[in-house]
Amino acid sequence: MGWFFVFLAACFEITGVIGLKSFSQRKSLKHAVLFFGGFGLAFVFLYLSFLSLQVSVAYAVWIGSGTAAAVLINMIFFGESKSKIRIVSLVIIVVGVTGLKAVS
Amino acid sequence: MNKGWIFVILTCLFELFWVLGFNIASTWWHWAIIITIIMIDFYFLAKACESLPTGTVYAIFAAAGTVGTALMDIYIFEGSFSLAKGFFMGMLVFGVILLKRSDDGAKQEEAAS
Repeated sequence: MGWFFVFLAACFEITGVIGLKSFSQRKSLKHAVLFFGGFGLAFVFLYLSFLSLQVSVAYAVWIGSGTAAAVLINMIFFGESKSKIRIVSLVIIVVGVTGLKAVS
Repeated sequence: MNKGWIFVILTCLFELFWVLGFNIASTWWHWAIIITIIMIDFYFLAKACESLPTGTVYAIFAAAGTVGTALMDIYIFEGSFSLAKGFFMGMLVFGVILLKRSDDGAKQEEAAS
């Protein structure tokens, strides 16, 4: 059950990131709800996952997958740069975030 | 320098305040302050994305939060420092600098073409 909550939290984080992108382009109520609602629910499910999983591990998986997904979505759907060096540096960040959370 | 980077710095700074708050909050009004800080923080996050790629901003936001909490654990809450922690922190800083440089490079190419 714990990992299912982590999965849900990551999905809502992605919703929040799409909201973040949309809200930064145009400040409308719909975009604000996506943005704050997505991150709000992500935190709720992350908290629920802590009840049955080790906090550092659950958090590491959540933030690593969410950051990677945020980058991919912006590259695929919002036309952000897909240059090789950008992808390499993003992979370094995701591995670093996940690793640091896992050993903390 | 793009003024969006000022918002990146602000959002990372405010993030550290609410993360610290999460660790020391004990009554309802503490949480009220924390939620206010989160709202301001996310507003700066959105402002940063107006002029910078969202993927970049979000990755830096996540990285700053991670390094910040790890440092807080070590210095404020007397956690332990390990070689592994130092290694991943260095890796993060390297990744963020590389990413910033690559985005700057892409912008210059755009401007030149």
